[in-house]
Amino acid sequence: MMKWIRWSGLAGFVVVVGLIAALWLLAIGPLMKMAVEKYGSEAVGAQVNVEEISLGFSPLSLTITGVQVADKDAPMENLVSFDTAVATLEPFPLLLGHIIIPDVKLSGVGIGTTRQYSGALSFDSNEQQVEVEKDKLDEDSATENVTESDSTADSQVLPSADEILNRETLLTSVHGEAFEGAYKLHKKAIDDAISSLPNEQGLKNYEADLNRILKGKFKSVDDFKQRKKEFDALKAQFKKDKQAIADAKMAVKNGKADLEQKWSQLKDAPKQDLTNLKGKYTLDGVGASNLAALLFGEDAGGYAETALSYYEKLRPLLVDDEAKAEKQALLDQRLNGRLVHFKSDNPLPDFWIKTLSFSLTLPEFPQDSGSLGQVIVKVQDITQQQDVINAPIKLWVTGQNLKDISSLAITGVLDHRTSTGSDSFSLDLKQWQLNNLKLGVAGLTLLSSNTNVQGKVVFVDEQMNLVGKGLFNQTKFGSKKTNTFAKEMVAALKSVEQFTVSMSAEGAVTSPSVSLKSDLDNQLKVAFDQRLDEKQAELENKLKEKLNDKLLSYGGKYTEQLKALNLTEGSLKDKGKALEKLGKAKLSSYEDQLKAEAAAKEAELRAKAEAEEQRAKEKLEAEKAKLNAEEERAKAKLEAEKAKAEAKAKAEAEEKRKELERKAKEKLKKIFG
Amino acid sequence: MFNLLAKFLKLLNGDASPGQISLGFAFALFVGLTPFFSLHNLIILFLVCVIRVNLGAFFLGSAVFTLIAFIVDPLMISVGESLLNNPDLTSLWTGLYQSDVWRAFKFNHTLLLGSVVTASVLFIPMVIVSRIIISVYRERLMKWFEKLQISKMIKASKFYKAYEKLGELS
Repeated sequence: MMKWIRWSGLAGFVVVVGLIAALWLLAIGPLMKMAVEKYGSEAVGAQVNVEEISLGFSPLSLTITGVQVADKDAPMENLVSFDTAVATLEPFPLLLGHIIIPDVKLSGVGIGTTRQYSGALSFDSNEQQVEVEKDKLDEDSATENVTESDSTADSQVLPSADEILNRETLLTSVHGEAFEGAYKLHKKAIDDAISSLPNEQGLKNYEADLNRILKGKFKSVDDFKQRKKEFDALKAQFKKDKQAIADAKMAVKNGKADLEQKWSQLKDAPKQDLTNLKGKYTLDGVGASNLAALLFGEDAGGYAETALSYYEKLRPLLVDDEAKAEKQALLDQRLNGRLVHFKSDNPLPDFWIKTLSFSLTLPEFPQDSGSLGQVIVKVQDITQQQDVINAPIKLWVTGQNLKDISSLAITGVLDHRTSTGSDSFSLDLKQWQLNNLKLGVAGLTLLSSNTNVQGKVVFVDEQMNLVGKGLFNQTKFGSKKTNTFAKEMVAALKSVEQFTVSMSAEGAVTSPSVSLKSDLDNQLKVAFDQRLDEKQAELENKLKEKLNDKLLSYGGKYTEQLKALNLTEGSLKDKGKALEKLGKAKLSSYEDQLKAEAAAKEAELRAKAEAEEQRAKEKLEAEKAKLNAEEERAKAKLEAEKAKAEAKAKAEAEEKRKELERKAKEKLKKIFG
Repeated sequence: MFNLLAKFLKLLNGDASPGQISLGFAFALFVGLTPFFSLHNLIILFLVCVIRVNLGAFFLGSAVFTLIAFIVDPLMISVGESLLNNPDLTSLWTGLYQSDVWRAFKFNHTLLLGSVVTASVLFIPMVIVSRIIISVYRERLMKWFEKLQISKMIKASKFYKAYEKLGELS
């Protein structure tokens, strides 16, 4: 039996295997370092630097020191870095090609730390240049946006009434100028019309001339002709003056109507200007409703953007698309054979960190206030093949030695067991004493606030849905700026002791639709409305004063001139009536005068004859009345005698009837008696 | 090819034990037919080093069987598929699958299992048949064969001479 054993072969095998093992052990550290740097750099798109990787054997462990993962978008910064990572390894799975790490402990973890040299990949220099230029353009654009934002912020500063009058194109000025132009136009027309009118003295002269022409009888035909000529001339003058008065009246009427319309517009203009200015300078409720977004939007957006950028960088590492593709390719290539998997009590993915833990120093918030403290981060089941272990990645972040925060807890579940995948994170931050938080506008500062924040975000298939709520209690606001807007803001916010800010974001991870709402809007609206009413009244009064000054420059003259025009109009009416009266006067002819005298005499005779006739008529009527009276007396006498005879006959007949009745009664007595 | 033939003739015509040569061929089945970088091949190499098998036959056989493997791989795969998917054997495979050691051997790979099983099945027949063939050759055919023109040509070739020198050195 022993002759079948080749001792030299055994020794050779042991020596060869031992040499290979020794070489492997010597080379494994640098080889792993190279592999981590190469594949890590390819994975994150920026340099991954490792200072050293060493292997330990009792237990089997890996110690990685000085790891820096550069930020692709900011090559002079590290996305993440840590001083030391100690990972224990399971040896047998390693033989199968499975890197199973029961526990990893990181120390000296930093996020966003500064690098000594650029972390950009060398082969990507051209693209990097393009990126740098793009970044520069973005920065320029951002600068422009900031400038724009500043200018927007500047526009929030309420100017004085004088500044508004000087800066803005006010309807008051527009209508004022229109009024002034119209006034000048009409004034000239009216002045021209009035200048051609007769004055009072002229009218008196007309009356005197008329009286002179009409007074007294014509002495002769020549006298009549002379007067007729003067009368016709006077009448022609009346007609001309009458037309001039009508023109003047029309000019005044038109002027009055036009100027009254423009005056009405001018009077309404300040009110419209105030309305417009309120909207423009966001002093109304609509403006105030966006105030919460204005105050918190920039910061909230910045934090969300940072978080999303980290998630975007992390996500490709969570999804094992390449491994799945390889698996599918393996299934398709049956000629090379394939691995047939069976149910396993202990399934092994290619890479699996069962537990990763580290502590992280929180950044300063607000700026220059020192770190908020530390958080203990624990991550469980980190693998790209969650379907193999049938467990999602779970994350716990717990605050430790927190400054001004009672408790902080973040939990996360990154579940990619199915192709859709779902990642969810929740945040619960309690009793955060926020101090001197600079807000985005008017130099406003949240001086103090006791804040509770809760939020949850779910990512599904590159879509996100975030809901967050911050409750700010015992709030106090202040501002170092002394402009009007800042003062107004502080005054309005003084009454706000508690408010909530609700944030929601949904849509694509790269461009979610973000909404920020707060009941601060309503509270501010009420406070602002009150302040606005006061301020508006103040501003309106100032504007009114200014506008009145302006109007007076037009309106003063206008009123006087209108009065003058009214007087003129009255005078013109009187003059018109006087001229009407004068115009009705007629100048008769000499023959007419004689005919008139004859007619008067005839009329006198006719009147006399009529008087005589009247007297005869009256006498005849008197005689007739006398005869009628006598006839009446005779008729009365006759009637009296007739009545007397009738009475006598009636008495006799009565006597006879009574006698006959008596006789009849007696006969009846005798018969029945 | 000519080189391989020269080696083969040198081996056959040498004074190496037919048993060691046949064992070398048999072990070569594993290395040649199965994927080379597998854990079981480390064991095969260990055995080849420790047991007095003819190394020349082993390396020659490995080269020959590697060439054959290119042709028979589909057959090996189908053997592995049928074994791994055989419901009667599922419990066996599932049991082995729970062990990291067995999984380290990648027994659940269709080509590897098929080729290892085939090599295992052919191992003993290979030992017996090759030993018989070598014995018969040396007793009856070697002298006749050496007289053949082709044999003389091979022996005259520089490959044969070089191989012979190597044999003398070893």
